[in-house]
Amino acid sequence: MSARIPIDVPATAPIYHDRIVTAFTAAAVLWAIIGMAAGVYVAAELVWPNLSFSLPWLSFGRLRTVHTNVVLFGFGISALIGTALYSVQRTSHTPLFAPRLAWLVFFAWQLTIVLGGWSLLAGWNGGKEYAELEWPFDIAIAVVWLSFAVVFFGTIARRKIAPIYISNWFYGALIIVIAMLHVVNNLAMPATLGKAYSLYPGAQDAIVQWWYGHNAVGFLLTGGFLGMLYYFLPKQAEQPIWSYRLSIVAFWAFVYSYIWAGPHHLHYNAIPEWVQSLAVVMSLILLAPSWATMINGVMTVANAWQKLRTDPALKFIVLALAFYGLATFEGPMMAIRSVNVMSHFTEWTIGHVHSGALGWNALITFGTFYYLVPKLAGRPLASVRLANAHFWLALAGTMLYILSMWAAGVSQSLLWLTLDEHGEVKYSFVEVMRAIAPYYLLRLLGGVLFLSGAVLMAVNLAKTFESGRTVTAHVPAVGAAPQMA
Amino acid sequence: MFFGFALWLGLVPPIFAYIGTTTFGWHLGVEPLFLTTSAAAAMAAAYFALLLVGFLSAGFVAHWMASTYSADASFGRSFALIALVGAPLTVGSVVHLYPHALINVIVLVPTLIWSMYLLYRGLPIVLKTDPAHGMLMASSLVAYLLVAWVTLLGITVVLWSHGIGPRVLT
Repeated sequence: MSARIPIDVPATAPIYHDRIVTAFTAAAVLWAIIGMAAGVYVAAELVWPNLSFSLPWLSFGRLRTVHTNVVLFGFGISALIGTALYSVQRTSHTPLFAPRLAWLVFFAWQLTIVLGGWSLLAGWNGGKEYAELEWPFDIAIAVVWLSFAVVFFGTIARRKIAPIYISNWFYGALIIVIAMLHVVNNLAMPATLGKAYSLYPGAQDAIVQWWYGHNAVGFLLTGGFLGMLYYFLPKQAEQPIWSYRLSIVAFWAFVYSYIWAGPHHLHYNAIPEWVQSLAVVMSLILLAPSWATMINGVMTVANAWQKLRTDPALKFIVLALAFYGLATFEGPMMAIRSVNVMSHFTEWTIGHVHSGALGWNALITFGTFYYLVPKLAGRPLASVRLANAHFWLALAGTMLYILSMWAAGVSQSLLWLTLDEHGEVKYSFVEVMRAIAPYYLLRLLGGVLFLSGAVLMAVNLAKTFESGRTVTAHVPAVGAAPQMA
Repeated sequence: MFFGFALWLGLVPPIFAYIGTTTFGWHLGVEPLFLTTSAAAAMAAAYFALLLVGFLSAGFVAHWMASTYSADASFGRSFALIALVGAPLTVGSVVHLYPHALINVIVLVPTLIWSMYLLYRGLPIVLKTDPAHGMLMASSLVAYLLVAWVTLLGITVVLWSHGIGPRVLT
C-alpha cells in the first residue's frame, strides 16, 4: 500500500461511489440489532420456555433460524459487501463498475433478508443448517450474488494499479467460493412454491451440506472478514501490513486447506472413515495459515501502538485478533475425533461458534465501522466514551457467553456419558437439561451485555452521521506506483 | 520474592479442591460424584502441577513478548505480573470447598473478570511501559491464556475419551 502516493486531486477527478457503502453499513447495523435481539430472545426461551406463548411464530425452532440467518446474511454479508465496495475502489483507484447494478444488489439483498426472515417465521424451512431458506430465495440469492461479483470483479478489471491488493484476494475468494457452495448445496427438485427436495441422497446430502456449512464459516466468516482486516487494519494503524509476503502465502494455504475440512462435522456418522480422517488432518493443517494471519495482524498493530491512545476503533481490532486466535485454535482441536466425541452436540460447540462470531466477526466489524462511518460522514466519531463503554460490554459479554457454554458443554457431556450398573445411560434428558439450565441464564446475561454494546454503537454511529450526507471523495491521481499499461 | 509467593498461592486451590471433593463430592447438577481419597489426592497434585506449569509458561511468554511492546523484560517482573493477576483467582478458589460446578462458575467468572481488569490496568505499571503498549500486550497475553486453557480442556477430554480418569465411587 505504501507504494501508492496520491500527488494531487483535480476538481474534475472522478468520485468514489460511497453512498452505497453508507447504505450497506446502515443496513448491517440495523440487522445486527435485530439479529442479536432474536438471539437474546431464543436464549431467554431456553431459560423460560413459556416465552414462546405457544405461538408457532415465536417457537425456538423458527426464531433460532431467524437469528442465524439475520446475523449471517443480514449483518455479516451487508458489512462484507459494503466494506468490499469501499476498499475495492480505493485499492484499484477507480470508481465502481456498474454502480446502478450495485444499488440493485443493495435493495435486492435487503428485500431477500426481509422476505426470507418472514418465510422462516412462517415455518418454511429447507432443513439444511445455515441454508434453511427455500428454493425461491436460493435462486434470488444466486442472482444477487452474481450481480455483486460483476460489480466487484468489474471494478478490479478497471483498476489503475497493476497489483491486486491482498484484501481483494480474500473478498474475491469469498465471492467465488460462496457462489459455488450456495449453488451446489441448494440443488433441489421443487415440489411446491414453499418446498423442494435435495438432489443428493442420504449420507451424500450430509457431506455436501457440511462441505457448504464449514466452508461458509471458512470463506465468509473467516476469509471475507480477513479481507476486511487486511484493508482496514493498515488504514487505521497507518502502517503497512507487517509482512505482505506472509499474507499471500497464508491466503493460498488457507484456500487450499479449508475446502477439505467439512466432514469433521460428521464424525462417527454414516460416512466413510477416511473422509473423516482426511478432514481431521486438513483441519489441523489449517491452524498454520490461520495463525500466520493472526501474527501478521498482531505485529502490524504492535508497530502502531501510539494510535491506541486516541483511536477507540483499534482496540476492537486488537481484541478481535485475540478471539480469532482462540477460535482458530479451538476449531482444529474440536475436529480431533477423541475431542469431538465429547464436544459434539453439546453447548461447547455453541460456545465455540460464538467465540468466533462475537469475538472475531462482530468485533472486527465494529472496529471497522468506528473507522469507516466518521470517514463517510466527514466528521469525528460522536462519542469516544460510548465506544469505550461498548468495548468493555463486548468483552464481558463474549467472555460470559463462552465461559458459561464451556461449563455447560462439559457438564452435559459428562452426564450423557455416565452409565449405570447395567451399562445404560444413567441420566435422563430432563435431568441433564435441568443441570445445565442455570448456565443458559449466564449465557443470556452475556448476550444482553453484547447486544447493549451494539445498541450503544448504533446510537453513536447515528449521531456521527446526523447530517445524513455521505462526503464526496475524489479518486486521487497516482504517482510512483506500478500502473496499468 | 513473587516466585515464592506464587508457589504458596498455587497451593491454595488444590487444597480447597481436595477438601471439597472428599467432603461433599462433585456436583454437576444431578447428584454428587465421590472420588476415592487417593484419586482425589492425585487430582489435587495434578491440579497444583498444572497451575505451576501455567504460571511458569505465562511468565515466560510475558518475558518473550516484553521486547515487542517496549516493556521491562526481566523475569522477576514478568512472574510478578502473573502472580498478581492470578491472586484473585486463587482467593476465589475458596469456592472449591463446595465443588458444585455452577456455584464455582458463578464465583469464578466475576473473579476472572477482576483478574483481567488487573492485567489490563496493572501491566503497564508492573512492566513499566506505556498504557497503549500495555493494552496490546495484555490482549496478546489474554490470547495466550485462552489458548492455553482450551489446550488443557482438549487434553483432558482426550484422556477422558480414552478411559483415563479418576474412578468414581458409586
